[in-house]
Amino acid sequence: MMRSRPADLRRLSEAGTAWAYVMPACVIILGLGILPVIWSFILSLQVSDLITPAEWIGFKNYEVISRDPHFRNAVGHTLLYTALFVPLVIAGGLGLALLLNRRIRFIGIYRTLVFVPFVVSATAQGVLFSFIFESHFGVANAVLRWFSIPPQGFFTDEHQALYLLVVIGLWSGVGFCVVVFLAALQDIQQELVEAASLDGAGRWATFRYVVWPALQPVTIFLLVWQTLQALQVFDLVFVTTRGGPLESTTVVVFFVWQQAFEQFNAGYAAAAAYVLAFVLLVLSIGVRFARRRDAETR
Amino acid sequence: MTARPASTGPTRRAFLRQGLGLATATGIGSLLSACGSDDDTTTGTTQDGNVTITMWHGQEDQGKETIDQIVTDFQAKNPKIKVEASSGGVLADSMLQKITTALSAGSYPDIAYIFGPDIANVSRSPKVANLQPYVTKPEVNWNDFYPAARDAVTVDGKVRGFPALVDNLCVAYNKKVFKDAGVPEPTAGWTWDQFVETARKLTNPGKGIFGTGWPAVGDEDCVWRIYPMIWDLGGAIVDASGKKVGFDNDSGLKALQTIHQLGAEKLVYPDTKPGSETMYQIFNSGKMGMVPTGPWQLPDFVDQKTDYGVVPLPSYSGNKVTIAGPDTWTVFDNGSARVKGAVTFLQFLTESTQDVKWATQAGSLPLRQSTANSTEWKQHVAKTAGLDVFSDALSYARTRPTIRTYPRLSQPLGQAIVKMLLNKGTPEDALRQAVQAANDALATG
Amino acid sequence: MTAEPVRRRRRGVLPFSPWHLVLVPVTVLFALPLLWLLVSSFMTNAQINRFPPTIIPDSLHLEGYRYVFKNALFPRWFLNSTIASLAVVAGNLIFGVVAGYAFARMRFRGSRLLLAVMLGTLIIPFQITMIPTFLIMKDLGLIDTLGAVIVPSLVTPFAVFLFRQFFLSLPREIEEAAWIDGCSRLRTLWSVVVPMARPALSTVAVLSFLTTWNDLAWPLIAINNDHNYTLQLGLATFQGQHRTQWSAVMAGNLIAVVPVLVAFLAAQRTFIQSLTSSAVKG
Repeated sequence: MMRSRPADLRRLSEAGTAWAYVMPACVIILGLGILPVIWSFILSLQVSDLITPAEWIGFKNYEVISRDPHFRNAVGHTLLYTALFVPLVIAGGLGLALLLNRRIRFIGIYRTLVFVPFVVSATAQGVLFSFIFESHFGVANAVLRWFSIPPQGFFTDEHQALYLLVVIGLWSGVGFCVVVFLAALQDIQQELVEAASLDGAGRWATFRYVVWPALQPVTIFLLVWQTLQALQVFDLVFVTTRGGPLESTTVVVFFVWQQAFEQFNAGYAAAAAYVLAFVLLVLSIGVRFARRRDAETR
Repeated sequence: MTARPASTGPTRRAFLRQGLGLATATGIGSLLSACGSDDDTTTGTTQDGNVTITMWHGQEDQGKETIDQIVTDFQAKNPKIKVEASSGGVLADSMLQKITTALSAGSYPDIAYIFGPDIANVSRSPKVANLQPYVTKPEVNWNDFYPAARDAVTVDGKVRGFPALVDNLCVAYNKKVFKDAGVPEPTAGWTWDQFVETARKLTNPGKGIFGTGWPAVGDEDCVWRIYPMIWDLGGAIVDASGKKVGFDNDSGLKALQTIHQLGAEKLVYPDTKPGSETMYQIFNSGKMGMVPTGPWQLPDFVDQKTDYGVVPLPSYSGNKVTIAGPDTWTVFDNGSARVKGAVTFLQFLTESTQDVKWATQAGSLPLRQSTANSTEWKQHVAKTAGLDVFSDALSYARTRPTIRTYPRLSQPLGQAIVKMLLNKGTPEDALRQAVQAANDALATG
Repeated sequence: MTAEPVRRRRRGVLPFSPWHLVLVPVTVLFALPLLWLLVSSFMTNAQINRFPPTIIPDSLHLEGYRYVFKNALFPRWFLNSTIASLAVVAGNLIFGVVAGYAFARMRFRGSRLLLAVMLGTLIIPFQITMIPTFLIMKDLGLIDTLGAVIVPSLVTPFAVFLFRQFFLSLPREIEEAAWIDGCSRLRTLWSVVVPMARPALSTVAVLSFLTTWNDLAWPLIAINNDHNYTLQLGLATFQGQHRTQWSAVMAGNLIAVVPVLVAFLAAQRTFIQSLTSSAVKG
């Protein structure tokens, strides 16, 4: 029984169905998402402490923030963290997923344990890592001492703290990438792999032409998600260093939080958040163009 | 949409009703709100004059138990006032963030535990009650409260809450560490030079022992420790005009120099983990000789079975000087009936009989002079080593000013202190940068 | 290098696969906090509060667990978190799949813009958006209820985005076959397309569950009454301003982590695709 209808009607009913499908998500996401975005923008145009009525000052916050060395540093720290974190977490996740994608005994347990850091709360992780990397009594320096390496400042050293946060972030974030990649890897048609090897493709070629394309959707998703996570990192900084030592780990969202809730400078904080949002927007538009080009050339 | 006074409420509601197709949402909403508690915090008084007040006390464990007990006692005596006391979902540290959000949304409790340095900003809200008319009543006995406690809850001459807690800073020392190093225990009236010298003798890198410790996150616990030094040298936090800092001179410089000495010679353990817990753990493990601290830490020393002693803070001039960090029960305006109910409860809570319970059980110091003179308190002091030093220090402890711009001057000063602790830069540079940032903040008013 | 069939490597000295030698140290590195939680939860506060802390307790002390279970509300908190997390998973799976499918397969005006706007709501960090979100929740009367924890996360743009990406990558032939066979759109979606989307489903399920389970910042703001605390919020109250019940915090965290891991271990069966995929044949 073929469904044959005039093209217009079909498109109309399709649009109707489409809207019906999209409506629940729309209502929740836009209803609860648009308002805050607009509210935040309005806040960024005001001098506000959230407690007393606000004053309009137009774009003055943005003017001041463009000259603020603390904010510039915060942006720098955030971009550095993101640039290091994102590629490493994706690569690490893929590598581990490939490692864990085999059927040997206990593989289920290995996979579960690799996921542990992602499940443990930020607070517990903060306590654990503060202990491990404590510069005088911590395990890390004890291990280094054993290898005759001089003790490091870690969280007391403003040149090391941010990189240390990248390491900890990687450790706790890679588990999620592993799970996602594993699920995608498992989904790859066994026949395709066998066909490829029958055709004489080596491991690398199989990976490049069979596996990698199949991982595209999840890779893109992970890239987007991890970039957003990295640009908006907060919890890790809050529980380990509070932006220190000497503001070396102050990232943009931490700066925002400080301004809003410690300095009673919420309008300024909103402006800072919007600058970050602008960066994100630029990045995503760039990605979109790249992908559209990519899709068109396929 | 500007800031959120209650009058924009209905407009927002109307907008939501249309925009969200709220049939679904209200359906979900009423279903889900049934899953929660039935407490209604929006109406205050019922028909028969009963009042329900909510209190976010931010306490856990022992503090919570003490408050719960006091609430039960209060309700027995005042059946028309129901007190719903809970930690509010936060502990005292996170209370400010929650109250700020609550105030901006127009949904706030009647009483909340607000830190001293925060009340100046919080009370700028028109929703904070003015308790001036209540505290002049004789039954409150307002002047019985210690001056530090009274100052902490008074902003711009108006009283905004009741004192909740007082403490102050004295030096606790580990007797065993002193004995092992062969150093005589410190005594009252000692100087900062002697403090540094003692730290020098106690520090033993080979054994991993530090002379002293100092929080190095740059937060308030890091900063408030420098003020007694500044005050003793004749400086002030803010000068008379209120538009500039009062330590842009020798008082600030010398204080930072002392800290710099400690940091440069590695006599001090800089605690970079937020929460200031690590340095006490190190102290209790016998790896630190002495540490400035408050009475709240004594129960911990007792639990860890540390053999400790307490002496007052050292000074430069030989005068007695220390700082008190009082916290407040800030009262919010949810209608006059509820304000009155809240005041009645807080009056009860801070009366001598309850105050002594709070002080002895929850690890505070007496809020009132009459409490300090009571037998119960004296017995408690006799039982707890070192508590008498803290108790006596109440008479000469000073407090930070309750000004709105305080957080913005505290932060750069904190960074300056951290620089000294980590031995990065000179005291002159650190002071200059801190003063500049702080003056900028004060100038904006 | 996909799932390899079990190879018989009886040559060589090792009676087990050499991969174990690589996997064990790697896994230990990641499992460290679990070990630490496990060990610390059986210590006394005094032992944990030492610095450097005791690594191996002399005996099993149960005071941490006793403190946790003495707290009459702890099971309630656990239940609250479970309900909230499962509700969020359900919402994301149901509404996300449906919306993602619409974006992927249906043409309607403004779909591109709509998706962009949805994703755009993520650009402002939570620290700012929590206040207007609080305002909205208050107007809906959901503050201090489980609803406040569930509703904002009921569907996330990420779920919609991931499902869209995934459905886009599926070959259309299968759906069109079902469509031609007379299946309605909805039926096609649920019986044909969704079973092929297992990686996406599991990803969204895991993400939704864990972000709700581990969330502390939002419940901190949105919940007041201790009967309505989520598990993380309740655990946070074990950490006092000056004194922390460390052994209880460790025990509580362990209790918060273990069920998730066990569920994850059990659910691995659904992640493992059977070697023959039944959907596409020739």
